Amino acid sequence: MKVIEIDNLKKTYSESEVEVHAVNGVTLDIEEGEFTAIVGPSGSGKTTLLNMIGGLDIPTSGEVIIGGSNMNHLNGSELTDFRKNNIGFVFQAYNLIPVLTAKENTEFVMKLQGKSKVECEKRSKELLESVGLGERINARPNKMSGGQQQRVAVARALASKPKFVLADEPTANLDSKSTETLLDIMEKLNKEENITFVFSTHDARVVKKARRVITLEDGKILSDVRKNGGE
Amino acid sequence: MNRLFKMAWRNIWRNRRRTLITAASIFFAVFFAIVMRSIQLGTYGHMISQSIEKFSGYLQLQNPEYFDEPSLDNFIENSDDIIKKLNATEGVKVAVPRIETFVLASSGHQSKGVLVTGIDPEQEMFVSNPEHMLAKYKLTPEIVEKLLTETNLEKKQIELLKFNENKLYHDLDRLALDLGLNPSDFEQYHGLLNKYASYSGEYLSKNDDGILVSSRLATFLRSTVGDTIVLLGQGRYGATAAGLFPIRGIVRVPSPDLDNKLVYMSLSRAQIFLDMPDMLTSIAMNLDDNDDMFDIQASINSTLDKEKYVVKNWEEINPTLKQQIDGDDKSGQMFLGILYFIIFFGIFGTVMMMIAERKREFGVLVAIGMRKSKLAIILVFEMLMVGFIGTVSGMLAALPLVYSFYVNPFHITGEMAKMYEDMGFEAVMPTAPVEGYFAIQGFIILLMVIVACIIPLQRIRKMKVMNALRS
Ligand SMILES: Nc1ncnc2c1ncn2[C@@H]1O[C@H](COP(=O)(O)OP(=O)(O)O)[C@@H](O)[C@H]1O
Ligand SMILES: [Mg+2]
Repeated sequence: MKVIEIDNLKKTYSESEVEVHAVNGVTLDIEEGEFTAIVGPSGSGKTTLLNMIGGLDIPTSGEVIIGGSNMNHLNGSELTDFRKNNIGFVFQAYNLIPVLTAKENTEFVMKLQGKSKVECEKRSKELLESVGLGERINARPNKMSGGQQQRVAVARALASKPKFVLADEPTANLDSKSTETLLDIMEKLNKEENITFVFSTHDARVVKKARRVITLEDGKILSDVRKNGGE
Repeated sequence: MNRLFKMAWRNIWRNRRRTLITAASIFFAVFFAIVMRSIQLGTYGHMISQSIEKFSGYLQLQNPEYFDEPSLDNFIENSDDIIKKLNATEGVKVAVPRIETFVLASSGHQSKGVLVTGIDPEQEMFVSNPEHMLAKYKLTPEIVEKLLTETNLEKKQIELLKFNENKLYHDLDRLALDLGLNPSDFEQYHGLLNKYASYSGEYLSKNDDGILVSSRLATFLRSTVGDTIVLLGQGRYGATAAGLFPIRGIVRVPSPDLDNKLVYMSLSRAQIFLDMPDMLTSIAMNLDDNDDMFDIQASINSTLDKEKYVVKNWEEINPTLKQQIDGDDKSGQMFLGILYFIIFFGIFGTVMMMIAERKREFGVLVAIGMRKSKLAIILVFEMLMVGFIGTVSGMLAALPLVYSFYVNPFHITGEMAKMYEDMGFEAVMPTAPVEGYFAIQGFIILLMVIVACIIPLQRIRKMKVMNALRS
């Protein structure tokens, strides 16, 4: 089943003198359960592409269709609600809410969704345990390492039961050990719970773990490779 | 809602110092505004109490002509019935008869225009109560000398003693205050004062043919109890009014202006002196609740024979006082306006800094699915909390101060007191009771917080998630 359908997507920045075609005609589909890396040198358009998929940025032209809904047809707050219910986000800089504990961060979107307290507690505990932070549920972000924070971010992204998780360079700020732990967790969640991940990276070790690798260059797809069963 | 509230509460303590500084500036503004406002309102209340409640009355019934031409010729007649009727009117606490006119007073080589006020000595106790102002003690040069030689006062007290020489007092507590002494410490001097400083004044009897003279006037006329002064003026229809009047007592009138010119006379004596048999110039009234003044005035006026009587309120009778209060009130409010204006920019600056610092966080919140409206609520909550902390602590700090000065008005003494009195003010600084003006300060802060949030909320509304995330 197709989770994401992208058709001839373009994003042009024309704020400066020269026009920048950050994403320049991308067409691709993401299937449910895929574990996809978007790679390419810096400035190749990875972030711009992910942001348009996530409904954070508006395309200059082309379409993003998620679970049958055309993102172009949603206004500001509809888009916000759509993200809340369909997409999990993991950011490069962790971006946890600093005043909330690991558990509260994880529950945050669920509460926005109006889930009951009991359900929130149960799921956030399970998720934090599955990312190896069962002991740290009451810690605030500033008391956790970068790797731990990013694992909370993954738990938060999954808590709302999204159709897929978008992660823009999730390991760029992590040391190699934390990178490995995080990827193992993501891989496990993907395999065991069939969670769809789309992440960008320019780290070769991360690319190795991916089962599909889409390479961008100058806003265009250079290659799109599916590996069978990964490594 | 609970959750947003909790987040807001935690957020304000992220930058503890800034929150405290903002709350402190609100605290000081509220504290200062309340104290200042309280002194202002208290002073107005006191001025009104002294010149209106304890002198002219809140309402006066007069001959309709009297208001434009306050002459004895515009009298009211056969007033017993109407006084009874007024006393029985709902909302009127008391109604007392008066004759007021200006005459010349002289004693020896001194003469001065004075305000003769004819009163019913018994009923008047419920309005201006001259009995209560009767001077009982005088710091004569002899007693000052005695105190200096026979006691060991401190240097400061000696200075104050000399400064207040010849002053009259109704009670010894006030004397103690003027000397900067605790009333209980002062008790040791009571014997000496009772012996040498007593002043034998008496209140007027029903048909007394003597007078009470206000203290500054007595000093000016160089007269004291037992002396006789000449009053010379015009009675009704231009008749000559002249007479010799023995001084029964000296009254210390709080208002310096009145204290310079007031002479109390029994009504019966004034009616003879001024050739006004059974006639009055006015009936002064005080009310149960002064807020009802205009209603009571209107309702009495509607029942009166308009040809013969009219009821005027104190604002009409004493427009100078009204203007003085209004003018002072305006300038006070303007001052507070400026103060609040400055505080407003402090609050505004805080909100702007808050949203600038947290732009990226706001971006994240909206990205993961929080509506901007909820974000706005958190921000407003945060500012309201800071405002609330500042306002409530400011109120709590002002409360005991305002209350204690309300119960125990601050009496200004020494040179400062003289300055006040020379300007025509009584040397006290009372505060108003704790009431509406407290709440108003809270309301102003609330309003300012909301106004200060307008621009930041616009920014949030227009915020592009993308830009916020990249910042
Ligand atoms: N807001 C913007 N305004 C102008 N140019 C932008 C903006 N955002 C990105 N770009 C440009 O678009 C191109 C793609 O950027 P980006 O998507 O961030 O690439 P990547 O994530 O692969 O490094 C770059 O050349 C970048 O300079
Ligand atoms: Mg990027």
